[in-house]
Amino acid sequence: MVAKGKKASADAVYAKKTSKSVNPFDNSTAQSSKRGNPFDVHVNKEKFKILGRICKHDRGMPGVSRAKALQKRAQTLGQQFAVKHKTNRFRDNRIGKHLSGDQLTESVMNARYLAEKMSQVRSNQKAEKFNLNDDELLTHRGQTLEEIEQYRDERSDDEELDDEALDADFTAAAHFGGEGDSAQDRQAAIDEMIVEQKRRKNEIAKEKDEVFDLTEKLDANYKLLLPLVAKATKDEQDAKPPPDAYDKLLKEMIFEPRGSVADKLINPDELAKQEAARLEKLENERLRRMRADGEEEEEASIAKPKHRSADDLDDGYFLAGEGDEGDDTLAYDLDGNLGTHLNGKKEAEAKGKENEDDDDEEGEEEEEEDSDEESDSEVDNLSDLKESESESEPEEAPKPSKKKAKKSADTIPASLDTSIPFTIKMPKTYEDFTELLSKHATAQKATIIERIIKCNHPKLEGVNRENVVKLYSFLLQYLKDLFEDASEQDIREHFQLLSKLMPHLYELTQLNPERMSNTLLEVIKEKYGEFRKNHKMYPSLDFLVYFKLVANLYSTSDFRHPVVTPCFIFMQHVLSRSRVRTRQEISMGLFLVTVLLEFVSQSKRLVPAIFNFLQGIVHMSIPKRDVEQLEITPPFERDGPLSKLLALPANTESTKLEPQKLQPADLVTQTITPDFKVRALDTSLLLIKEALQLVEEHVGACYLAQPFLRLLSRLPLDSYPEHVHQHHKEATELAEKLAAQKMKPLAPAEKKPKALRLLEPRFEAVYDDKRRPKMSKAKEERAKLLHKIKREKKGAIREIRRDTAFVQTLRLKQTLQSDKERHEKVKRIYQEASVQQGELNELARAKKKKKF
Amino acid sequence: MKRSTVKVDDDTGESLAKKQLQSKANSLLNAEKVDIKTLKGFVQLLKNTPDNMPAGEVMNTLEVIFKNLLKRKAIAGPERQGLKIQELYEETWLLLIEHLLVDSESSVAVKVCMQLIKVEAKHPIAPNKGWPTHRIRGMLETLINCDATPTTALANYGKYCKNLDVLEITLKQLKSLVPGEDFKDSPIKAMNFLSIVNLLDMGKSVLSTADYHVESAKRQTFNYELNRKRLNDLWVSIMAKGNEVDEKLHRQILVVLLERVINHLNDPIQLTDFLMDSLHQFDGPIALLALQGIFTLMQKQNITYPDVYEKLYNMLYPRMFHNKYKARLFYLADIFLTSTHLPENLVAAFVKRLARLALQSPTEDAVIMIQFVCNLLLRHTGLQKLIRASHAADELSDPYNPTETDPVKSEAMNSSLWEITLLQKHVVPEVANAARFINSSLPVMEFDLAPLLDRKECNIFDDELQSKAKQFALNYERPTNLALPKNQFVTKYWDLI
Repeated sequence: MVAKGKKASADAVYAKKTSKSVNPFDNSTAQSSKRGNPFDVHVNKEKFKILGRICKHDRGMPGVSRAKALQKRAQTLGQQFAVKHKTNRFRDNRIGKHLSGDQLTESVMNARYLAEKMSQVRSNQKAEKFNLNDDELLTHRGQTLEEIEQYRDERSDDEELDDEALDADFTAAAHFGGEGDSAQDRQAAIDEMIVEQKRRKNEIAKEKDEVFDLTEKLDANYKLLLPLVAKATKDEQDAKPPPDAYDKLLKEMIFEPRGSVADKLINPDELAKQEAARLEKLENERLRRMRADGEEEEEASIAKPKHRSADDLDDGYFLAGEGDEGDDTLAYDLDGNLGTHLNGKKEAEAKGKENEDDDDEEGEEEEEEDSDEESDSEVDNLSDLKESESESEPEEAPKPSKKKAKKSADTIPASLDTSIPFTIKMPKTYEDFTELLSKHATAQKATIIERIIKCNHPKLEGVNRENVVKLYSFLLQYLKDLFEDASEQDIREHFQLLSKLMPHLYELTQLNPERMSNTLLEVIKEKYGEFRKNHKMYPSLDFLVYFKLVANLYSTSDFRHPVVTPCFIFMQHVLSRSRVRTRQEISMGLFLVTVLLEFVSQSKRLVPAIFNFLQGIVHMSIPKRDVEQLEITPPFERDGPLSKLLALPANTESTKLEPQKLQPADLVTQTITPDFKVRALDTSLLLIKEALQLVEEHVGACYLAQPFLRLLSRLPLDSYPEHVHQHHKEATELAEKLAAQKMKPLAPAEKKPKALRLLEPRFEAVYDDKRRPKMSKAKEERAKLLHKIKREKKGAIREIRRDTAFVQTLRLKQTLQSDKERHEKVKRIYQEASVQQGELNELARAKKKKKF
Repeated sequence: MKRSTVKVDDDTGESLAKKQLQSKANSLLNAEKVDIKTLKGFVQLLKNTPDNMPAGEVMNTLEVIFKNLLKRKAIAGPERQGLKIQELYEETWLLLIEHLLVDSESSVAVKVCMQLIKVEAKHPIAPNKGWPTHRIRGMLETLINCDATPTTALANYGKYCKNLDVLEITLKQLKSLVPGEDFKDSPIKAMNFLSIVNLLDMGKSVLSTADYHVESAKRQTFNYELNRKRLNDLWVSIMAKGNEVDEKLHRQILVVLLERVINHLNDPIQLTDFLMDSLHQFDGPIALLALQGIFTLMQKQNITYPDVYEKLYNMLYPRMFHNKYKARLFYLADIFLTSTHLPENLVAAFVKRLARLALQSPTEDAVIMIQFVCNLLLRHTGLQKLIRASHAADELSDPYNPTETDPVKSEAMNSSLWEITLLQKHVVPEVANAARFINSSLPVMEFDLAPLLDRKECNIFDDELQSKAKQFALNYERPTNLALPKNQFVTKYWDLI
C-alpha cells in the first residue's frame, strides 16, 4: 500500500515535473498541464445550476488528493507507529564532541543548550512554541540550582575532608605484596588498617561536632552582644564634642536646599491672571447654581436659533442638530459694509467684562491690603520686610479717603495686641470662653479669636477639627448673648465686634463647611421654632445677626441652598406676619429688608415681602384722616393709630435735619422720635429705589412698582428736609418708569418643527424554500451551527476511519514481513537439518560399509 | 441644678402620695363595712387638694371608689350609712363639676363624670331610673355659665357627644338651657352655648357608627326625625335670640349653622334672608361664611343669586391671607369655578386677580394660587390665550384693571399672565418651580389643591430643611468686615460700625 501511495504521490510529482520539463516553452500546454491527467479528474455532476452559489466541489482529483493524504499519514502516523513502544531516543551530541575538560567552554555549552532547545521546540507541538512560562529547571552537574543551594554548608568551606582514598604506601604494600611478608602479615595489616581508619573517622566526627557546638555558642553570644554594640556606638555619637560655629556653618552649607525645581517663580502678572481665572471659574459656578434646573434649557430654546441658512425662507423651519457656532452669517450692515454683524456685540461684551475685571481687581487689592495689615499686627521678625514689599507695590486706584481713615483707626489698637499671649488654648467650656473674652476690649477680642484659630488649625492636629467646630458654636452663642440683651449704649460696640469677627467666622466656615453650616442651621432652626410659637412678635435681636452672617458667608444667589433658602422663608415669614408697632420693630423690619436685598443682590430674585414691607412703611408715614382708607397688606393696619405711626404731625418743623443713616440704637429703643421718622422714611425711599432697581429687568416689574406710585404720591413732603425730597423724587421717577413698562404678551417658545423621519427601506428576506421551516434569527443561527458540527463530525469520523485503515495496512505489512522472515528461517533450518541428516546418513552408511 | 432636684423630690413625693392614696382606697373597699370617715376624708381631699397631689389623681381614686360602691348598691341603702354615702356622692359630683372649669384638670374631670354616669345608668340610685340625665344637665349648665370659654372641657365633652345617647340627651337638655336674655347682652354665655351646639354632630358617619355610651340605652334606638325636630327648634330659638350680635358671635353662629345645622333643617330657604344680610352687611370672614351658606342653598334648594361671582371676586384681596377662613375661601372659589360653562372673561378676571395676589401673598398661598390658576387654565381652554398669544402681538402695558369691581368689565381677557413670569423669579424655589408651568405644555391632570390648603409657612421651612441636596456653597470672596465685597446694602444704609 505504501508503495502504491508513494507511487501515486510520485506520479503527481512526476506529472508536475514532466509537464514542465517536456516543453518549457509551450504555454498552452502549461495551462492544461495544471489540470494534470484528464483521467485523474473526476467531475461531480450538478443537477441544476443555481445562480449565485459558489460550488467548490464540482470537480476534483481523487487520485492526487488520496496520494497527498497518504503521504501526510506516512509522515505523521507512520512515524509514530514506527517508534511505538520504543523508549530510546536519538540525541545529537555532535557539538564539541571531541572537546574535553577545559576546552568545554561556556560558548560550547551555550551552543549545546541552544541546539537542545531548538530540537525541543521542533519536536513539540506548535502551541508550545510560544509558551513563555515553561518551567524548565536549569541544572548544574545534574543538580538543580535550588538543591545546590539547600545543601550548601556555608560554614564548612575550608574543612574539606581528606580524600578517602587509601594512601600510596598502603596500596603499594597491600596490593603488590610489599616486602614479601607472609599471608598472616597481610591479614594483620588489613585489620590494622581498618582499625586505624575507624579511629580516624571517629576523631574527625568528634572534632566536627565540637566545632559545630562552638560555632553555635559563638553565634548565640554574638546575637546577645549585638544590641550592646549598637548602644555603644550611639553613646559614642552623643558623646561627640559639640560642633563649633565653623562646623555648623559647614553643615548648613552642605545641607542647604539648592532650590527645588517645582517652585517656579511666578511673576505678578501671571499670579493676577491665575487669580482672575480662579475667580471667573467660581463666578461661573455661582451663576450655574443660581439658575433653576430647567431654566437654562428654556432660555436656550427661547433664544434665537443659532444658524440660518442663506436661503432660509423665514418660515420658521430650522435645521435640527446644528452645532453651536457663533452667528457668523455673512451680511451687509446698515452702512453697507460686509461683515458678520455680531462683532459689535462681542466688543461690547468684552468691554463689559473688562469693567468687571477692574472691579475684581479693586476688590483684590483691598483684600491684599487687609492681609498686610494682619501681618502687621503680628509682631514678627519679618514684618518690616513684608511692609517694604507692600510699599513697593504701586498703588493704582486711589482708595476712598473714608475707608483709609477707618483703617488707620483700626491699626491703632493693633499695637495693644502685644499684651495678648500668642498661643491661646481652646477653652473647654463656654463659660471659660466668655471669661477669656470679657477681659479684653473689642478690638482685642478679634485678635484673640484669630489666635485661637491659628493655634487650633485642623492642619496642625486632628483633634482640632472638633475644636474649631466648638469654637464656631461658642462664637455663635456669644453673639447671641451679646445681641440678645444689647442696650442703647453698647449695641454699636457689638456691631463693631461682629464686623471684626466676620473674616474669622468666614475662615472657620471655610475649614469645614458642612459641620459649621449645620451648627448655624441648628441655631436658625431653634430661632424659628421659638418664632413659630408666636409669629405676631418679632424675635429677639440676635436673629438679625445670623442672617447678616449668612449673607456674608454663603453664596446667597443659589437657586436652592440648604442654609440660605430656609433663611429666606424665615425672613419672609417675619416680615409678613409680625406686627409693627414700635421703633424697634420698624427698624428690625428695615434691617431685614436690607439684608434680604443683600441676599438677592446678585440673583435679582423676587421677594414679595420686601415690597409689602416698604409699602407698609410709606403707608405709615402718610397722615390719614379717619374716614379714608388706603389698601395695604397686613401686618400693617389699614386704620387706627398704628397706621400713621411714622406720620409727621403737621406742625413739626424737621426740615433742618441732616441726612442720616439708620442707627444701631434704633434697634433697641421703643419710642418713636421725629428724627427717627424722617430717617426711616428716607431710608425706605432709598431702599425702594434699590429694590426696584434689582427687579428692573424682569417682565412684570410694573406690578411691583405701581403700588408704590399710589402711596408715594400721597406723601406730604412739606415738613421733610431737602434730602428726603431728593430721594422721593428719585424713587418716584424710577417707579414711574417701571410702571409704564410695556410687555409682549406671553407666547410659547417657538419650537422647531420636527423633521419628517426618513426611513431606511426595510427589506424582508422571503425564502420559499419549503424544506426548511421559518425560524427566528437565534434559532436559525443555532441550526446553522448544529449543521456545521454535524458535518465536521462526519469529516472527523471519516478521517479517523482512514487513519485506522492506514495503521491496519501498516500492521498487516509488518506481520507479512515477519511471517516471511520466519518462513525463510524455518526453511533454512530445515535445509540445514536435512543437510546434517544427509551427512549423518552418509557417515552411517560409510560405517556400515566398513563393517561389512 | 437645685431646681431639678426639687423637682425630682416633687416627683417622688407625688408618686408616693399616689401610692398611699391607692392603698387607702383599696383598704376602704376591701373592708366589709364602708368607713364613712375615710370616704369623707377623700372627698375633703378633693375639696382642698394638698400641693403635692394633683387633683386628677384624687378624682381618679374617687371614681374607682364610687364605681365600686355603686355596683354594690351601697348608696341609697335603707340604713343611715347609705344616706350618708349618697350625701357624699352628691357632694363629689358638685366638686367634679367645679373642676370641669379648671383648664388643666378638665379632661380628667370630664372622663370621671362620664364614667360615673355610665355606672350609675347601670345601677341607678333608688328614686331615679335609667339614664342619669340630671347629671348631664348639671355639667351643661356649668359649661354654659362659665366666664371664659372652657375649650379643653368642650373638646373632651365633644368626644362623648359622638355617642348617640349622649347626643340625644344633650340636645334635649340644651333646649331648656337656651340663655334667657338675648345673645348680645351676654356674649360669653352665648358663645359657650354655641360652642356646645357646635359639638353636636348628627352627620352620617356618626349615625352609621351608632355608638352608645351606656349599654342599656341601645334598646331605645336613636330617632333621627325626633332629634332633627329638636335641632330645628333649637335653631329657631338661636335665631330668635341672635339679633344684632357682635362679629365674633355672628361668625360662631354662622359656623354652627354651616357645620352642624344646615343639613338637618326642615326649611333651609328661610335662612336666605339671614345669609344675604350677613353677606351684604359684613365683609371678611363673615361674608365668606355666608357665601358658603348661600352656596349650600344654591346646591340643595336651587335658589339663584345673581351676583355671587362678583361677591367672590371682591373677596379676593390681600388682607384675606391673614384671616382664619382662607382655606375655606380657596375651597369655595375652586368649587364655584368648577363649571366649564362659565363665560371666559369672568374666569379670566379671576385668573388675573389670583395671579396679582400671588405677587403679594405669603409663600404658601402663592403656591396654592399658582396651581389654582393652572387648574383654571386647564378647565377653560379658551383662557390659554393668556399664555399663548401669537408671536406677532405688539408690546403693551397690562390692559387689566385691578380696581374694577365687576369681573366681567375688567378687560382681563385682553391681558396676559406676566405675573406668572415674574413669579418664576420668586426667591423660594418651590414657588419658582410651580410658576414654571407656563413654559412647557400644561399638565394633563389638574393639581389637587386639598393638601396645599392646610400648609403653613413653617411646613415649607421644614420641607426645605429636609431637602437632601446638601451642598453648602460658600461665598468665594472673603468679607473683611460687616460689608459684603460687592453690593453691600447694610453698611450703605445703616450706620453700624
